[in-house]
Amino acid sequence: MIFQLDTSTDKIIGIAVLQVRIDATNCKELQKAFSLWLQDSANIVFDCSALDFIDSSGLGAIVSCLRKALEHKGDLRLAALGPKVSLIFELTKAKQLFSIYPDAASAVTSFKEVAAMP
Amino acid sequence: MKTIIITKKLDYPWLHDILPGHHPLLVPLCNKPFIEFFIDFSILAGSTAIRIISDEAINDVESFCEKGDRWGIAISYANSLPSDSLNKILEKNSRFCTDERIMIINNILFLHYNKNADYRSYFASLPSGDLPGFGKRTLSLTGSPLNSENSQETPPLSTVVLDSAGQYYQLAKDLLQNRLLHYVLPGYNNEAGCYIGRNVIIQKSAKIVKPVIIGNNVQILAGSVIGPSAIIGNNVIIDRKSTVASSIVMDNTFVGEHLEIEKKIASGNVLIDPESGLSLTMEDPHLLSSISQTDGSTTFLLRIVHSCIAVLLILILLLPYLLLRPILKSRGSWSTKQIIYHSAKPRCKVALPVTTLRKKGMLSTLAVFFSLDRFLWLFKVLSGHLDIIGSRLIEVNQESKAHYRPGVFSYAEAEDWPQNDSDSDIVNHYYAVHSNLFKDVAMTHKALFNRIHQENTV
Repeated sequence: MIFQLDTSTDKIIGIAVLQVRIDATNCKELQKAFSLWLQDSANIVFDCSALDFIDSSGLGAIVSCLRKALEHKGDLRLAALGPKVSLIFELTKAKQLFSIYPDAASAVTSFKEVAAMP
Repeated sequence: MKTIIITKKLDYPWLHDILPGHHPLLVPLCNKPFIEFFIDFSILAGSTAIRIISDEAINDVESFCEKGDRWGIAISYANSLPSDSLNKILEKNSRFCTDERIMIINNILFLHYNKNADYRSYFASLPSGDLPGFGKRTLSLTGSPLNSENSQETPPLSTVVLDSAGQYYQLAKDLLQNRLLHYVLPGYNNEAGCYIGRNVIIQKSAKIVKPVIIGNNVQILAGSVIGPSAIIGNNVIIDRKSTVASSIVMDNTFVGEHLEIEKKIASGNVLIDPESGLSLTMEDPHLLSSISQTDGSTTFLLRIVHSCIAVLLILILLLPYLLLRPILKSRGSWSTKQIIYHSAKPRCKVALPVTTLRKKGMLSTLAVFFSLDRFLWLFKVLSGHLDIIGSRLIEVNQESKAHYRPGVFSYAEAEDWPQNDSDSDIVNHYYAVHSNLFKDVAMTHKALFNRIHQENTV
């Protein structure tokens, strides 16, 4: 997983590029890494362009990441969901929990829009 | 009149996504296989015999339709080669075709008709050749008209192109929403737009919204919403708080809890989006999976294997149990109380000694290592009250659950992830439905191993 910070807006936004699979074998790794990322920024974007498979454990991990981000008064936004992953998010109603954007750039911009609001 | 129905495998590759391994004619539309619609229509048209011809193995169709006694019509079967033309097929079946007027249904899967219309006199009056409005040699007649007078009315009759899961989905939706009364559909139908099959369990808080068709042996668990425009096949479980709307759930499918299936086709562990044609095979059995049907012999074999494992464990654990129990009891690390649980036998109870074993010192660690707290329970496997591995035990003062199969060890103990009772129930329910011989042996092994790491046992 690649993590980098974006400072193009007045907020520091973390962008994490997720790996190909998130399942029971590596979801704990994601949760651990997320706790570290939170120390840099509470506003994080998951770039899912490479993500091809996610199971219920992986979904649970992403939801838990969202909860942690909200607890830190930030947000977790998803970008570039592939059709298969999108279908799983739809099936599990997880789509209703997240703000989902077509690509990482628009997800970052969405934080900027919020920041611009009075 | 006689009817010939011809299908070719190559024409329906998309059907293999929906129901792999099934003959196209057995794929259900609104829980009724395509072949049954053809049989109904042939009877309406005045046929006395049907021949089903296919270029692939037809045994399944044969065992479903048999000789046609169920419909009061003679059904026979024949094979063709993929390269055979229609003329060649007719030539090969010339003995069936002699001296009779023949209706040929070729290379189509479905006909729109209306059971209330008069097709008999219409077909009797038509000249030989293709029927008006149909493509070349898709629905045609041979032989001279039986009735020289023209039928006064042309009954509704049309076909539909079916070459994708999307078109199949649209057809099913059209039937369910607009044409339910045109066909004889399976299930009890006490009110319009609602067909429900046999042995259907709908829990109190589940909601059914018309129009809906529900097959046989279906369980709809608490809080689920089925419909509008839902077709649920046979042998389906919809777990708690799931929604199925404008969707088709094919036979033998388990839909996990808290899911939302909208405008989709779910078949076993495959989820199809008819709009985009995208098909997704679920690797996660807690979301969507297929239900394997076990027959009596499998269950019997499963019982024998469970009993054998119990005997083996009794032989291994007898000596440690006899040595460690008195010592631990005298040290206060071993306390037991009697609790009555629902048994695996219907309407039976089973009293079990529930031992709390505190892990302090080497001996109690050894006792936990050997799962000695469950030693006496192993005898209940031999008497059929428990399985060696199964559901979490439910006390008699609580309501037993569907697919309750109590075990000495629970499936949840074999899985690492369940953190609360609700998680455990999901795991237990899943394996209670999907278990097989090999899974049970592997899960028992895992449960025994996982219990070693427990601090205390209850």
